[in-house]
Amino acid sequence: MVVSLLQLSSYVAFAIFIVAVLAKWRQWSSMPIHLRWELYPVPHEPEHEHGGSYFEEFNFWEKHREKNHLNEMKELFTELLFIKRVFDFKRQFWFTTYPFHLGIYLILAWFALLFVGGLTQAYTGIAIPSAHPWAQLIYYLTLLTGSLGIILGTLGCIGVLLYRLSEEDMRKYSAGLDYFNLIFILVVYVLGAISWLSFDRTFTTAQAYMTAMVSFSSAIPQLNNIILAHVILLELLWIYIPFTKMSHFVGKYFTYHKVLWEDEPNLRGSEVEKKVREVLGYKVTWQAPHFTAGRTWAEEATKPSKVDVIERWEP
Amino acid sequence: MKDKTRIEDIGKKGQMVKLREEDLMELPYPYNQPDMEPKFTEPKDEWRERYVTDLDGYIAINIPVKRPETKEEEERMVRRFLEGFKRLLTKNDHWTFLQPLLLTLEYCAKCQACADACPIYLASGKKEIYRPTYRVEVLRRIYKKYIKGKSDFVSGKIDLNWDTLAKLAEVSWRCTLCRRCEQRCPIGINNGLITREIRLLFAQEMGFANKEVHELGTVQHLKVGSSTALTPDGFKDIVEFMEEEIEEKTGKKIKIPVDEKGADFLLIHNAGEYLSWPENPAAFAILFEEAGISYTLSSELVGYDGVNYGVWYDDMQLARIALKHTEAARKLDCNSIVVGECGHAHKAIAVIADRVVADETNVYRQSCMPILWDIVKKKKINFDPEKNDFPVTLHDPCNMVRLMGVVEPQRKVLRALCPQFREMSPNGVYNYCCGGGSGFAIMQSMNFPEWRNKVSTRMKLKQTMDAFKDCIDPSINKMLCAPCSNCKGAIRDMFSYYQVPQKTSTYYTGLVEFMVNAMVDLEEPYIEWEFH
Ligand code: SF4
Ligand code: SF4
Repeated sequence: MVVSLLQLSSYVAFAIFIVAVLAKWRQWSSMPIHLRWELYPVPHEPEHEHGGSYFEEFNFWEKHREKNHLNEMKELFTELLFIKRVFDFKRQFWFTTYPFHLGIYLILAWFALLFVGGLTQAYTGIAIPSAHPWAQLIYYLTLLTGSLGIILGTLGCIGVLLYRLSEEDMRKYSAGLDYFNLIFILVVYVLGAISWLSFDRTFTTAQAYMTAMVSFSSAIPQLNNIILAHVILLELLWIYIPFTKMSHFVGKYFTYHKVLWEDEPNLRGSEVEKKVREVLGYKVTWQAPHFTAGRTWAEEATKPSKVDVIERWEP
Repeated sequence: MKDKTRIEDIGKKGQMVKLREEDLMELPYPYNQPDMEPKFTEPKDEWRERYVTDLDGYIAINIPVKRPETKEEEERMVRRFLEGFKRLLTKNDHWTFLQPLLLTLEYCAKCQACADACPIYLASGKKEIYRPTYRVEVLRRIYKKYIKGKSDFVSGKIDLNWDTLAKLAEVSWRCTLCRRCEQRCPIGINNGLITREIRLLFAQEMGFANKEVHELGTVQHLKVGSSTALTPDGFKDIVEFMEEEIEEKTGKKIKIPVDEKGADFLLIHNAGEYLSWPENPAAFAILFEEAGISYTLSSELVGYDGVNYGVWYDDMQLARIALKHTEAARKLDCNSIVVGECGHAHKAIAVIADRVVADETNVYRQSCMPILWDIVKKKKINFDPEKNDFPVTLHDPCNMVRLMGVVEPQRKVLRALCPQFREMSPNGVYNYCCGGGSGFAIMQSMNFPEWRNKVSTRMKLKQTMDAFKDCIDPSINKMLCAPCSNCKGAIRDMFSYYQVPQKTSTYYTGLVEFMVNAMVDLEEPYIEWEFH
């Protein structure tokens, strides 16, 4: 089992992506508990229709607390799949950013289908394409997701780039890196589109490459320079994404679940209370006159403190 | 005219923006008529010298500043700021908001879907410095360039110098922390939080914050017992005075419970109510007495003033005050703390401070609204809605509604007791701030009230006039219900500035006043149609 250098780079890129995304996830999930900062409507609250919370009930801690997980999922998926807030509040931009994101989702689905196709070819002996119903299903779905993904993604990416450049409000807030990221993605898309339209309309080469990948075989198809460039840049993109704000698919889980929708009450004897006890033991080093050096949060918040105030802000 | 201000302009010398009448959001009738609103004024020259007026000509931070005279002095100030910024990024010093802060610094897509949510941005005629992402982007660029050491290509252009610091501090007091912008963000970014983080950095590192909020606010609150300077003895006198007033007005002899051990809950009002609107705590006393509810007030230092200005700028001051509140409840063996009609006091103690209490300090805390609705729903008192037969609309205090989810009880009371109740648009969790949030209502020095009245509360004036457009005729008395002391403070100033009662016969009051006004066994109306 000897794999080529190119294959190896694909394994490495994918592995770095996964490890980096997991590390990002870990970084966000290992942060200390913070003060509550929820924002209503919170979709898991049973009274979410009008934005209500358990505070609408007298002595809420005596009542059994219900959570509407179904509604939370609904809210999550409408935001994820349709980018609802941009649709509602920035409709014009939605017509570019939505195809762009949908293109990415389709390409991810395409990858998944190629992967399944690869496993099918390598381990069941069913060829793709072939008359076998399963092969037919995988073949046509791959064709559909791949073509649509490339078209929507490329057009969406051009749209987002032009929008960002042409709308002053967005341009003023964008840094060089924001454009670089979009151009990087666009180059990968364009090379992908050329590869697809000129050399691999049915994704046979892509499927063969994936089959070689999943079977750790060196029988990769011959790739011309354009496809080769596409594959290499795509790998670099996979590696790059988790280290940029394009990893907002990770961040978004935390902004919603750990901040905006996090309304877990600090009941006596609860897990929350335990965590609060821990953070109150942290040492504080703020320098303003109303802080005293060397104290923990709990001490600083309860012991007599200086009440000095500054008379003037000076160098 | 489109505002061309760019992010990096904050670091340049001179005033960033000049507000102009013609740019302001148009108001509805009668305020769209000529000469119906006072004009912008220029800041005095001596203010320009002593304070920072280079943002928009207005002064929120009323502490004098000494500008750096040498490069070294300027660098020293920048260094101090960056030291504070680094503390903001550590879990020891800033576990309180570390996660949302970092998420916000990391992930904004700069799509601007949040911009048109902001009442201040809209009212000003879309001035760039008031855009929800403006101050956030300034901080983000400083973070990337000066903390992370990235190039302008990565961070976007920004220069960290005296001008940037001074204007950044000032611009953090041009947002009411209403968080309406955050509702629109596809990524879930916390723009409102960043406003508070900037204030917090200056306050917790340098002690630099608005005087009414810090020195006369939290510091005085902890020292004297109330940010109004009301002492425990003064508080007891006021309670006696209220008892006399109640008897005089209603004929009812009521003993208001103070420091009664073992009551079901400790009721805490914003102490501003006792001084400015005593009819509100008095109405609570009448209702709770008539409904047979077991409660007590506290005369303990801090325990009789439910405000917590720390929620606007300083985590430690927030924690100190919140813990004094729970201590007052513990001393009286109360099962919980119930907050009266004050939005930020609601959010501060019930929501934000929920993570600074543990074990014996973990006394449960809740809103008065469900209790008030319960009185109406269960008919604990006989009400006659006909007594409230005049146009009424409701202002939703952001802190109680969007930020705490107490939405329905108060409107159920109004629906039941006010036949001519009508909603504002938008309302509920999508309401607009009164314009007095995050401390603005109590910030009264120099020209800040002018900015607040012309820009910050403008949207609420528009909404109020729109809600009453079918009965704007001054011959019809109308009432705006604002169940929050701070909102009432901002509305009082706005009504006075625009002469709303005189020109449209629109008045404002709290919620419990409508309840007492509708009580069957009261001969005289409780609500008085006078402006104060
Ligand atoms: S805060 Fe959210 S809505 Fe506003 S620009 Fe950033 S990503 Fe867009
Ligand atoms: S929190 Fe409110 S006032 Fe502040 S920027 Fe957002 S919408 Fe505007």
